[in-house]
Amino acid sequence: MQSLDPQHRATQVLAALIDSAVDGIIVIDARGRIETFNPAAERLFGYRQEDVAGRNVTMLMPSPYRDEHDRYLWRYLQAGNAKIIGIGREVTGLRRDGTVFPIHLSVGEMTVGGERKFTGIVHDLSARVQLENRLRSSEERWRSIIESAVDGIVVIDAQGRIEALNPAAERLFGHTESEVLGRNVTVLMPFPYREEHDQYLARYLSTGEARIIGIGREVTGVHRDGTTFPVHLAVGEMTVGGERKFTGILHDLSARVRMEEQLREQAALVRLGEMAAVIAHEIKNPLAGIRGAVQVIGDRLQSGSREVAVIGEIVNRIDTLNGLIQDLLLFARPPQPKPALVDVAPLVATTVDLLRADPALKEIRVEMEGASPPVLADPELLKIVFQNLLVNSAQAMAAAGGPGRIRVSIAAIHDSCDVAFSDDGPGIPAEIREKIFTPFFTTKARGTGLGLPTAKRLVEANRGTIRIDCPSGGGTTVTVQLPLAVAQAAGAGWSSS
Amino acid sequence: MTPAAPHLRVLVVEDETLIRWSIAETLAHEGHTVLEATNARSAVETLSDTSEPVDVVLLDYRLPDSNDLQLLANVRRLTPGSAVVMMTAYGTPEVTKGALDLGAYRVVNKPFDMHALESLVLEAHGSRSPRAN
Repeated sequence: MQSLDPQHRATQVLAALIDSAVDGIIVIDARGRIETFNPAAERLFGYRQEDVAGRNVTMLMPSPYRDEHDRYLWRYLQAGNAKIIGIGREVTGLRRDGTVFPIHLSVGEMTVGGERKFTGIVHDLSARVQLENRLRSSEERWRSIIESAVDGIVVIDAQGRIEALNPAAERLFGHTESEVLGRNVTVLMPFPYREEHDQYLARYLSTGEARIIGIGREVTGVHRDGTTFPVHLAVGEMTVGGERKFTGILHDLSARVRMEEQLREQAALVRLGEMAAVIAHEIKNPLAGIRGAVQVIGDRLQSGSREVAVIGEIVNRIDTLNGLIQDLLLFARPPQPKPALVDVAPLVATTVDLLRADPALKEIRVEMEGASPPVLADPELLKIVFQNLLVNSAQAMAAAGGPGRIRVSIAAIHDSCDVAFSDDGPGIPAEIREKIFTPFFTTKARGTGLGLPTAKRLVEANRGTIRIDCPSGGGTTVTVQLPLAVAQAAGAGWSSS
Repeated sequence: MTPAAPHLRVLVVEDETLIRWSIAETLAHEGHTVLEATNARSAVETLSDTSEPVDVVLLDYRLPDSNDLQLLANVRRLTPGSAVVMMTAYGTPEVTKGALDLGAYRVVNKPFDMHALESLVLEAHGSRSPRAN
């Protein structure tokens, strides 16, 4: 039977409450000495009640808080300046073993038997802080993954508005994140996809019919400068704070598509080469028979007769046909380059002299300037390249009504030699400039359309590049870039130093 | 005074009728004796008859029964004294080099000029017989 008076009973309840509390409870007197240290506080700090009773509470604090506490307490008692009393905040505790840990400390004040005392309730924050740290480092990790990702990442909301654009996506599209935040993602798409996207998104949200979400496929992106590029887009869906969002991961396919095109082109050229070899034989052999027989017959005709003239014309036509086959062979089956040290300027000069032997090109004026160290290339093939470019320029200018002037500038830039052929002809319209290296494309009434493609193939066979520019001032400049011999030697590890 | 051009025995090995005819007509017109073969087998037969040696062989690279330099090698072995001019409609640099290495005097690409044929044959013959100089 319990027969305790209510006062005693309340004391017992309070004592039990303090003993069973999950948070540490520490009571100190006005001088900071510990009077009460409950079991939870014992567990937290690693001391037992009897170890700490009567000692200054600063023993539970690491420096520098320890050194400041007496002053705080004194100031509070003197002036009532509360830094923590009645407020509570996060502080650091010091365990018996010297380790520190984060705690939330709330301090209340009471007066017992005329003495002011302070009750500190200590809530261990270790777990929470650990969790926070984990979250923070996890967020940092995710952020750094997204920031450093090679693929572009674009997050949009359910209305299609851009919420995030990682650096790779910034590079891909040429926009900074701040420029496109909040704008419709269609700004990254070219016509006609741009027009369809809002509909797709709306349909997906209402019917769940996915065209790309959760699937991924090849699409076309548009760069800020207006150029388009192939890109693989994989779209995932997520719900953040109750809102549906979509994450697009964009993998640039430009290089792959370019490589596929090159492979296709190379395969086509190989096939063309095989075909050309067969055709060449099957056409040239009978042509030889026809040409020979016609010549023999012509020799038997009365010299100066109309028939003899016709025979001459037949032979000319046969030679033109044969030249066409030769051109086709040169393009389709260029000979293996035999690299040698080549001085470009004298080679251009020789080529110009050879061309002047052609009555149609006798009138062209060629000015040369600049010089370069030798390149490593096949001189015979280079001669064909230069010849094709000069003939092309001369013909373009002749078609425009005058013999004109060709300027050949030679310059060594870094580890390559630039040979630029500039004419003052009519230039090349932008719409056909891309096709200019396509075999059999020609703007001339007569011509095979193999001159420039052959030049390109031969230049590339010599590890060079060729490009066409039409300066705004008029005319056309074709620039052949060839690796300098020294650069190639160094690249191949022959450098003597 | 220019010495009179020699009358040569020339073998034309060629399966294309018009080429063979043109060559035979052109050289016969200049007084040379022209033998004809349309394939490798008959060419070898003709050259194996050593009673009347051949001065110059005009040899097509590609024949119904031959499509490599083996025939040229056989010709050179059978009649080392004959000059050989190789004819080809599509000669790669490798074929040309191989033919010259085997002792062909020249490799000509088809079509070629009939008006230049006789001087070519005389040149080829001159290269094989120093006495002609």
